Amino acid sequence: MAKYAMLIDPSRCTGCAACGIACQLQWQLPKEMHYNHLEFAEKGKYPEAWLEILPVQCQHCEDAPCLKHCPTDATYRREDGIVDVDPEECIECQICVQACPYDVRVVNQETGVPEKCKFCSDFVDQGETPACVSTCMNEVRIFGDLDDPDSEISKAMAKEDTYQLLAEEGTEPRVYYVLKGEKIEFSGK
Amino acid sequence: MQKISRRSFLKATAAAGAASASLKFSFSDFAEAAEDAPVEKRHTLCNGCSNLCGLFVHVKNGRVWKAEGNPIHLKNRGKICARGHGMVADIYNPDRVTQPMKRVGEDQFEPISWEQAFAEIGEQLTDIVDRYTGDSVVWMEHGVRGKDYADILLDYIGSPNYITHYATCFTAKTNVWANMMGTNLYGDHENSDYMLFVGRNFAGGILPNGMQKVLKAKEKGAKIVVVDPRCCELAKVADEWIPIRPGTDLAFYLAIAHVIIEEDLKDRKFVREYVENFDEFWNANRNCTPEWAEGITDIPADKIREIARDLAKHAPRSFLEPGYHGLNAHYKNSVQQAQMNIVINALLGNMYQRGGLLPSASIELGQFEPEQQPPEKEMGPRIDGAGEDGKYATVEAARGIPQRIPQLAEEGEVRAIFVYHYNPLRTGPNPEYQKKMKEADLVVSIPIDWNETSYHTADYILPECYFMERAEPPVTTAGHVTHDYPQLAMRTEVVEPMEDTKPLIDIMKGLAKEIGAEEYFDFTVEDQARAMIEPLDISLEQLKEAGCLEFRNQSFDPEFPLSGGEPALDTPSGKVEFSVGIYKANGFSGVPRWIPPKVIPREEDEFRLIHGKQPWHSHHITSNNPYLMEITEMYDGTRMWINKERADQLGIETGDTVVVESEIATKEIEVKATELLHPDCVWVPSAYGGFSEKAETAYGVGINYNDFVSEEIEPIAGSVMGQEVIVKVRKGEK
Repeated sequence: MAKYAMLIDPSRCTGCAACGIACQLQWQLPKEMHYNHLEFAEKGKYPEAWLEILPVQCQHCEDAPCLKHCPTDATYRREDGIVDVDPEECIECQICVQACPYDVRVVNQETGVPEKCKFCSDFVDQGETPACVSTCMNEVRIFGDLDDPDSEISKAMAKEDTYQLLAEEGTEPRVYYVLKGEKIEFSGK
Repeated sequence: MQKISRRSFLKATAAAGAASASLKFSFSDFAEAAEDAPVEKRHTLCNGCSNLCGLFVHVKNGRVWKAEGNPIHLKNRGKICARGHGMVADIYNPDRVTQPMKRVGEDQFEPISWEQAFAEIGEQLTDIVDRYTGDSVVWMEHGVRGKDYADILLDYIGSPNYITHYATCFTAKTNVWANMMGTNLYGDHENSDYMLFVGRNFAGGILPNGMQKVLKAKEKGAKIVVVDPRCCELAKVADEWIPIRPGTDLAFYLAIAHVIIEEDLKDRKFVREYVENFDEFWNANRNCTPEWAEGITDIPADKIREIARDLAKHAPRSFLEPGYHGLNAHYKNSVQQAQMNIVINALLGNMYQRGGLLPSASIELGQFEPEQQPPEKEMGPRIDGAGEDGKYATVEAARGIPQRIPQLAEEGEVRAIFVYHYNPLRTGPNPEYQKKMKEADLVVSIPIDWNETSYHTADYILPECYFMERAEPPVTTAGHVTHDYPQLAMRTEVVEPMEDTKPLIDIMKGLAKEIGAEEYFDFTVEDQARAMIEPLDISLEQLKEAGCLEFRNQSFDPEFPLSGGEPALDTPSGKVEFSVGIYKANGFSGVPRWIPPKVIPREEDEFRLIHGKQPWHSHHITSNNPYLMEITEMYDGTRMWINKERADQLGIETGDTVVVESEIATKEIEVKATELLHPDCVWVPSAYGGFSEKAETAYGVGINYNDFVSEEIEPIAGSVMGQEVIVKVRKGEK
């Protein structure tokens, strides 16, 4: 069984937002609903100033607070580690929205179900790559199987220093970030 | 064939059904039937900007679902930017013009049949040509996809007036390269060791494969330096961002050249053998030292020296990126700036060198000739004066001077205007001035949506079908990034037209029939395509299916063109001409010399207003796109940028509404006070300021730089000088 994960290199991101809209078309989301987004932050003082961008989405935590707190098991983890939501089981209590420290649950206004990034599970099952990965001109994201030592992500993880967002929360995310210089921390903004 | 599990797909798509309820074919119908439906992938070329990236559009039950990038296509290599996805989604935009419209009052239109539209327009056009000759008729378009058809119409009625939008885009660059080089060269980014980008933002005016190439070079150790008043998106992945005072790039370039020449760092052999009039250039610019430039550009002299030396050290695998829109239609000194781009690259000897500048790999295509062509008619001089002695002799006639047309309409010189895929009311300077277009007796707009030009000036609106609903003749993918093998790409019909809209060729046939020119349009897009691919060993079916074909059997030999051992560029000397004869003959300097920008901000509340492409919009063409405007909403994308320290001095904070005032307009807008902008300017994205009430998503959102810019003409290349404008900024009431 695969162990799916994503490696994101924020230093390569130029903020074009293609990842967000590629995901929306993939899942035919209404325009207000985003499974992923970008955090922008300015650093330094002119003219020694620079921009930081952090792509954020469901972290597919191994110890997912949303899953732990879900009263109906609507939120579940697949064997490959993808955290998904079964809308049939969801009672729309929205506890998961509160529980998620990354604030990446988005409530579908039609169904009331708090949805989120699914690592493009249905498409990955068909051998495809998640839409946010395949559209990206800067190759910010790598998706793949950590159990396969020859996968692109395993090789990149071996080569790069990485970190996880809010590691101190103990959520053990399956989304890793490449560490170059100082950490770009999750701000929730 | 692909299946998606019902559970996740249908649930996720239910909400989209409501959003699309106004469509003929609702998304819920589609979703209901979608589970087992096969997915077909059909090829098109994105219409989100002029790169025309290759897209495979996924179609299910006749409905467009999503797109993936064509992995072959030179411009995008499998990737798609946000605009590309937005353009795919936008086929279901409810704001499209759905059938021909006739103006029946101020802001009032009546739907009419195509037959009625063609008959009425034909009658009026014939009358205008009879009374005022064909010279009073102009065809304006973005350029150049309507040209083949427009030329037939214009030839038939006897008009030389084919005009493009390029005066707002890059006419300084194309004019200069045509005159100094006789060709265009492009950065070989992937193989370069040092790249200097000045006013060129691959991550804003996005070239997906350009970004891939730049980042690949960076991984191999190449250095990337971005000089820009704004820390643009490309600067984020560069090694260095060096802010420059806007409008002074020419001084920066002159000083770079000074260092390269003074320190004897130039490629002597290249300059000796392939450059004409080096001495004339150097004699005119011996005083342009880095210290001189520091005061003008705000870049320290030592930094200018460092950049010049680094360029020379890495030559020929280094270059100054030849650029695009940024700088080449913006300033009084844009032409001289563009000349200096060639001078610096020539001094580096990087031309026709790997890692430097290369030509596009090209193929010989067949030329389509319609069986019957209109008899030759006598034509007067071009009405805009482009390329005409005594008027704008040095301006490229093929580009034209669109900003002259409203005035000429007001004066009664221009009587009929056809506007195709072009919206000068929003993308040209001074919208109130542009509105004078309606003074022409007949204005026909051929758009997709209710753009400002159609809404405010057109007597008739003839809606073209969406780009995914039509096929067009093949195009080569060449330009801006280099490639060893030529490619041919084609836009094919992804879905049938949903509404009562037509492809341009059918619109032209309808018009032609009414004015007695029917026989000259007796061909199809397939006829055109077959003639074009005739010399190639491919079938049309093959091209349609692949969408983009690469010709690996064509060799690519990047060497300076020689003929009998002599330099053979398409210039008078065959060499790179540092001095342009036609400029001299018309009273301008042949070599570039320092010219200050036309206007300079001096007071505490004065700024130069500059603009740029936001990564998810393509100037104004995408601004009525609901998905892309949602990105704007998410990231406060309409805000005007202002330098933090300057904002502090004026008591302005991020989120404040400010009043922006130029000589011709006063507007209010929210600001972003930022460390990422030169203090002398304010910056706005070029996407906003919609003022067509029928384009609801864009209407009233944000401001546009063109609101503030007067209609001006740079005398050599005819550009609009879109950044020669000073605005006063003060805190607003809100």
